Amino acid sequence: MALLAFSLCSPYSYSEEVYGTTNNAATFGLNWVMTNILPSQAGLEVNGLVYQYTAVKDPETGMIVYVQNEYADGSGYIFRNADDWTGLPGNTIRRKFALPNLGAELWGPGSIEVEGEGSVENASVVYSYRYDTCFDPQSDPNCPGYEEQVEVPEIAIYDPLQDPLVQEDLERKARIQEEEEEQERQRRREQWAVSNALEDLLADGNNPSLIDPVAEAMALALTSRVLPTNYYNGLEGREYFDTVVLEGGDIADNAKARRSNLAQQLLHQQMVDSQYESSQQETK
Amino acid sequence: MLKVVIPMAASILATGVVAQTEIVGNVDSKCIIISETPGVYGNPNPYQLTTAPTNGGVQPIIRYDVLAADYYKAVIEHPIDFSTSPTLDDVVTWTGDVEVSEMSDTNMADYDTNKVEYDNAHEYEMSVAGSTWFKISSTADYGYTKSFPAGQYTAVVQAECIPL
Repeated sequence: MALLAFSLCSPYSYSEEVYGTTNNAATFGLNWVMTNILPSQAGLEVNGLVYQYTAVKDPETGMIVYVQNEYADGSGYIFRNADDWTGLPGNTIRRKFALPNLGAELWGPGSIEVEGEGSVENASVVYSYRYDTCFDPQSDPNCPGYEEQVEVPEIAIYDPLQDPLVQEDLERKARIQEEEEEQERQRRREQWAVSNALEDLLADGNNPSLIDPVAEAMALALTSRVLPTNYYNGLEGREYFDTVVLEGGDIADNAKARRSNLAQQLLHQQMVDSQYESSQQETK
Repeated sequence: MLKVVIPMAASILATGVVAQTEIVGNVDSKCIIISETPGVYGNPNPYQLTTAPTNGGVQPIIRYDVLAADYYKAVIEHPIDFSTSPTLDDVVTWTGDVEVSEMSDTNMADYDTNKVEYDNAHEYEMSVAGSTWFKISSTADYGYTKSFPAGQYTAVVQAECIPL
């Protein structure tokens, strides 16, 4: 009974470690790309390397042969071994290395590099690897840790922007906004026309109706007032070298300055209007 | 309690004990010889047996794994007679050679240069730890271009690792 219960509770599952070796990476030359050499198996790790080549050289010359792999991110070498043949006759060398299970994603391009005089022939570089068939438990229903995929019912997604009523309301609001903006533009155009007309008027210096008669009379009274003599008599003598003489005794109003002020005001208004226009265009 | 303990202690002292223990040591060889490739004689001519690959032969390869440098020398003898063969009534002329075919360290590259040859023996100082592959060639010529009798011929390459 207990055995039956156990067998029901523990479904058959297995995880297998697969070991293998690559083909000769140096078949087509002394440079190779690891993605073309290693199987594209998830969780694959390189645990060894065997290389062999024949060094062809003069015993008197110097020669160093590097068998190497860069890191995939280019930060140096994940594996590099140097064979120094300097002063030695050429021969065939075969070397093997045990590696501490380095993930395939770490391995960058590999190469055999010759430094000095000589060459390399009949090169062979073979990597040994291992991987767990259940590295990704979801890859196989028989893997331990495999979880049945729960089917999620398809739920209709309500998009309010697709609702005809909402769309109608949005269009109505857009129309109202557009009308308001059109009205605002019309108001500004009219204001602009008035400002231009004012500028044209100010450009004519002989238009007396633009000067306030009361203010003009007050200014005239102020300028024509005669000061008592005690304002300028009885001053104790010192040295008064400069004497300001105002010929004619009448200071006329500066119509150009007034026009200038109004023109600056007009420019300011134009600038504000243009800012408003551009901000309206951006919000659109 | 005290009275009981004391007589027991006295009796132990009076009896005495003698014990012996062994010290065991095992020495594993630091030089291993492995026959990697068995040789095959080709028969390019009726009077000749040879391991030359160009003549249909296969050169035997012997690997020496030396774990400690400078403690051993390798002595390899190429054949100078058949261990098994049909009855031969004429002279067999033997030639042969031994050379390093592969190595696990570049410092073994001058093994061939420094080897000592005498008779059919080739003696190498194993001065570098690692693996060395030796390739042996052997040729047997029968008589004065006399045909070998039909049958199976076997010759033996002897490889030794001698402690220094």
